[in-house]
Amino acid sequence: MILGDFGTSYCKFLNLADDNSQPTILPTKELPGNLHVDLATGHNGRRFANRYVNELIALARGGEAMIDAPDYVLLDCGSRDLKFVVYQDGKVKDMGWNTECGASMGFTIELLERYYDLDYQQMQVPEQTFAVTCGVLGMSHIFDAVIGGMPVSEAVASLIKGIAVNAHHFCGAPQRLYLSGGLCDNPVFVGSLPCEVLPLGRYLLLKGLAQVNHPRRGAHRLGVAE
Amino acid sequence: MITTWHDDVAEQVLSHVRVVGIVGVPPLEVIRRCNEAGVIIHDLDARLVTTSLDEGSALLPKVYCAILRTVVVNALHLKLDAIIIDVGAGKCDSALHVSTILQATLSIPVLRTRNNDTQDFGTPICQARLGLVEKMLAITEGVKHATPLPCQGKPCKPKAGFWGVPPRDFSLLVPFPPTTHIYGWSRCLENKTPANEALEIVCNPKVPTVFFAQSFCAKTALAKFLAERHPQALYLDVDFTASSSAQAKVQAFLELSGALS
Repeated sequence: MILGDFGTSYCKFLNLADDNSQPTILPTKELPGNLHVDLATGHNGRRFANRYVNELIALARGGEAMIDAPDYVLLDCGSRDLKFVVYQDGKVKDMGWNTECGASMGFTIELLERYYDLDYQQMQVPEQTFAVTCGVLGMSHIFDAVIGGMPVSEAVASLIKGIAVNAHHFCGAPQRLYLSGGLCDNPVFVGSLPCEVLPLGRYLLLKGLAQVNHPRRGAHRLGVAE
Repeated sequence: MITTWHDDVAEQVLSHVRVVGIVGVPPLEVIRRCNEAGVIIHDLDARLVTTSLDEGSALLPKVYCAILRTVVVNALHLKLDAIIIDVGAGKCDSALHVSTILQATLSIPVLRTRNNDTQDFGTPICQARLGLVEKMLAITEGVKHATPLPCQGKPCKPKAGFWGVPPRDFSLLVPFPPTTHIYGWSRCLENKTPANEALEIVCNPKVPTVFFAQSFCAKTALAKFLAERHPQALYLDVDFTASSSAQAKVQAFLELSGALS
């Protein structure tokens, strides 16, 4: 049983048939055309799989398996969109999926790192916050700030902080936030969220697929304590 | 010149029209007289032509209720002898303005009504075990008839709720289980009391419920307000078609709330 999370920029896989298998990751642009998995989620998942689970369900099932609390907010920040689920008394209270006004945030952050040759691991959370609602529109803030004399790294960090604040607001501005997705590894983004953050890594949707397929199996290979 | 429906107008209009378009829910008396006169009724709120909504852009802003944009496109493309448009509390202010625009644009009579009907006809379809799309189709079809249509399903206990207006895009309704009860303005439609605010705000706190309104419609405020107070709710507004993310939200909400199990 092969699980696949087909994201916009990266695809993640897990082979449940192999006890020693660990999740693997592949840039989406390098996906072989003849690839086929058993169970998939993500924007590109339908055309590569026998069965498809929508991302909100995969996210929620992953959260149910990994978070031992009745009340929580779980936010997934991907390349292209934001998704969140809110649980209250163990039940789904609210959810959201922002594909338009919050579009391309993760993708823009990665694009800027490469274009300006930055290393987010070495950067600090800035004082300033750019008010942005999406990655594409936020680019202008960077260009204007750099023209005005602000160092590129500070301008980009200010944009990331603006994106983080926007994402926090999008999911209801909780005091405590479980975070999943590739941005868990970005210290500027995580440090810019104005709340307590508990990063769960980028394989949560795979975990959700494992739960959908067979509850309680496969979690140990995702680095999750059960 | 805008004409308001009254007996003299009714006699005059119904004596020579064969096809009318209705917007919203004209009063029962109006529908009854149309039915008795054998007039063909088209519900202009529904998607009756395949033309792009942009065709109506010359008359309405692009950021406007998709139902009323649909009304305008239907009115421009269908062969109608008259339009009867409800502009009372049972519809909305936007319909009032659309009636002005249609009258100024078309050469056929545009007749305004204000539906204040209070006779309750019941809501068996809203509470029946039947696909939500079928239920909603039956309710919207009922608008064209002065007497209630027979209900094809048996009463059931609800496992989910749909509160709101009939969406422009019925694909939004597909994921719901047949045990979904309908609330909100759609329930008012079946009851033939579209201005019944007390009935419109009714919902069931015991079942997970999607509170839906068309984007840019005044009912978004009521939908959001009721959703905030409901223990298991999803607020959703959708413009002219249900995007994949809107459909995914509905599907996820129903599955995660246990409505599909």
